[in-house]
Amino acid sequence: MSALLIAGTAQRFGFLDDFAVREIRRGLLKALAVPGYQVPYASREMPIARGFGTGGMQITLAIATPLDRLKVIDQGADDSVNAVSLRRFITAACPGLATTTRTAEATLIQTRHRVPERALTAGQTMVYQVPYPDPLQIVEPSERKRRLAHAHGDYARLWVKLYEDVVRFREVSISNRYPARVAGRYVIDPSPIPRWDLPKLHRSPVAHLFGAGREKKLYAVPPFTDVEPLAFDDVPFAVEAFRDAAGARRRCARCGAGDTYLDQIPQPDGGDRWQCNDQDRCAERMEER
Amino acid sequence: MIDRIQDGPVIEAQGLTRIHGRGCPDCVRLTGDVHGRNVCPACGSVVAVAEVSFRLWPGEILGVMGESGSGKSSVVRLLHLDDRPSAGTVRFRESHGRAHDLASIDEAEARRLRDTRFGMVHQNPHLGLNFGVSAGGNIAERLLCCGERRFHAIREAALGLLDRTEVPRARIDHQPGQFSGGMQQRLQIARALAPNPELLLLDEVTTGLDLSVQARILDLILSIQRDLGVAMVVVTHDLGVVRLLAGRTMVLRHGRVVESGLTDQILEDPQHPYTQQLVMSAL
Ligand SMILES: Nc1ncnc2c1ncn2[C@@H]1O[C@H](COP(=O)(O)OP(=O)(O)OP(=O)(O)O)[C@@H](O)[C@H]1O
Ligand SMILES: [Mg+2]
Ligand SMILES: [Zn+2]
Repeated sequence: MSALLIAGTAQRFGFLDDFAVREIRRGLLKALAVPGYQVPYASREMPIARGFGTGGMQITLAIATPLDRLKVIDQGADDSVNAVSLRRFITAACPGLATTTRTAEATLIQTRHRVPERALTAGQTMVYQVPYPDPLQIVEPSERKRRLAHAHGDYARLWVKLYEDVVRFREVSISNRYPARVAGRYVIDPSPIPRWDLPKLHRSPVAHLFGAGREKKLYAVPPFTDVEPLAFDDVPFAVEAFRDAAGARRRCARCGAGDTYLDQIPQPDGGDRWQCNDQDRCAERMEER
Repeated sequence: MIDRIQDGPVIEAQGLTRIHGRGCPDCVRLTGDVHGRNVCPACGSVVAVAEVSFRLWPGEILGVMGESGSGKSSVVRLLHLDDRPSAGTVRFRESHGRAHDLASIDEAEARRLRDTRFGMVHQNPHLGLNFGVSAGGNIAERLLCCGERRFHAIREAALGLLDRTEVPRARIDHQPGQFSGGMQQRLQIARALAPNPELLLLDEVTTGLDLSVQARILDLILSIQRDLGVAMVVVTHDLGVVRLLAGRTMVLRHGRVVESGLTDQILEDPQHPYTQQLVMSAL
């Protein structure tokens, strides 16, 4: 948020020209003013393949300032090929921009597929790379009809999808991109974060900014805003349980955490190893021990 | 019955007119049954319906009959707010007394009425059903539109509606594409009835089906009228359908009402040559 309000720092900083920066910032302000509404914008060509997070990257480039400290994560990892090359590109475009892998130290966090486990704090900003911005896409192919449905708050077809899921699986089977209603009004696709991460958006102290480069849309969840997963009154929304056969909560094999989103890693002996997906949080815990 | 009549009509249409195209001051004067056309010779606009007036009383079935292109579906589309008239008024009265002028209603209110007060059944099941979701899902959509958010209540209501329309309960999770034509129409009726509508619009629901299948659907419609007392407009080009279902009938030709009244009277003593011919050929 604060980054948004610092004017005039974008010149020769951040790859995008002034006009693009202003347009994206204007779009973000509108997105923050109308929580969950998909704001169209003229997505720029970036020197990385579309679908590789150009939407999130354009937001980061448009709002980063020399005072920021950037963290880039991909699937919970700071050191994956994707995360490393995105971070390299952004720092090359923004000379002097500091980076970190520590969630606690970051002011700007660009992410694909995860929200950090460590609680976010006021003053930080989350930027999401979004492949499909519209939660109605799975039920309505026509963009014109989808816009109309959003305008009328008509999410019946999405609810029918949930109904059919419960019929088939006794629960809603959507594992990520779980649709959520923002501020009691627009329903968003929160990008491919797991269900586990969705409650972190509810009344979060930070701004969550979403950018879809290919689909040319921006949307946002401002700080302290209600984010409610769509769910039936009698089939409540639940996050992943991570229970073993005996019903006990699994723990991270590395740091021992029993309250994080876990990856299941098949082992040569045929068993599975479970460990934190958020590598920074895992490392932090191990240091604490 | 007296009480109900004192309640006033569910629908009161006055001078309902729908012109497709630019329109000109002479459109209505130069078209219609006397001219034998619905295309205005002056401007080329199509006068789909003009100066149609009628009342529909609570619990009543009104038949709308006419040949292809006479304007039957146009009337239904106007009532269902899928289209707006070029002239005329339609008053719709909700059972608790609130009245709306459908000609000037805003889109949000139109949506509310469609979702909660009206039910529509199309000749083509692909227009009335979502073939990508199950039978139960089709009914659920209507309940969800009314704000129902309890899964088990939706499931129970859907089963009840399948019973009501004689679709086997076991088919609830099957997709409509696996249903016979007759069962698809019965599912459409179940879907239309889901919100307990006050107005049910049926546009050629039995056209193209086998006679025995037709008979079963017509029986179903009669039993719905008997049990639920919902007001209906039944569109057909089939004399047999209005004879069986409709207390009163309105005959359209080239977008105009050419005859209307008690169905029995029309069948016994048709006034208009077109109706006379219809009755003759049906004998
Ligand atoms: N959108 C439109 N644009 C132009 N003309 C139209 C439009 N919709 C309907 N019409 C014309 O209006 C007239 C009445 O059409 P309507 O569909 O109401 O007839 P119908 O009585 O339902 O016929 P059918 O028995 O074939 O269904 C026809 O001449 C039709 O071609
Ligand atoms: Mg028709
Ligand atoms: Zn761990």
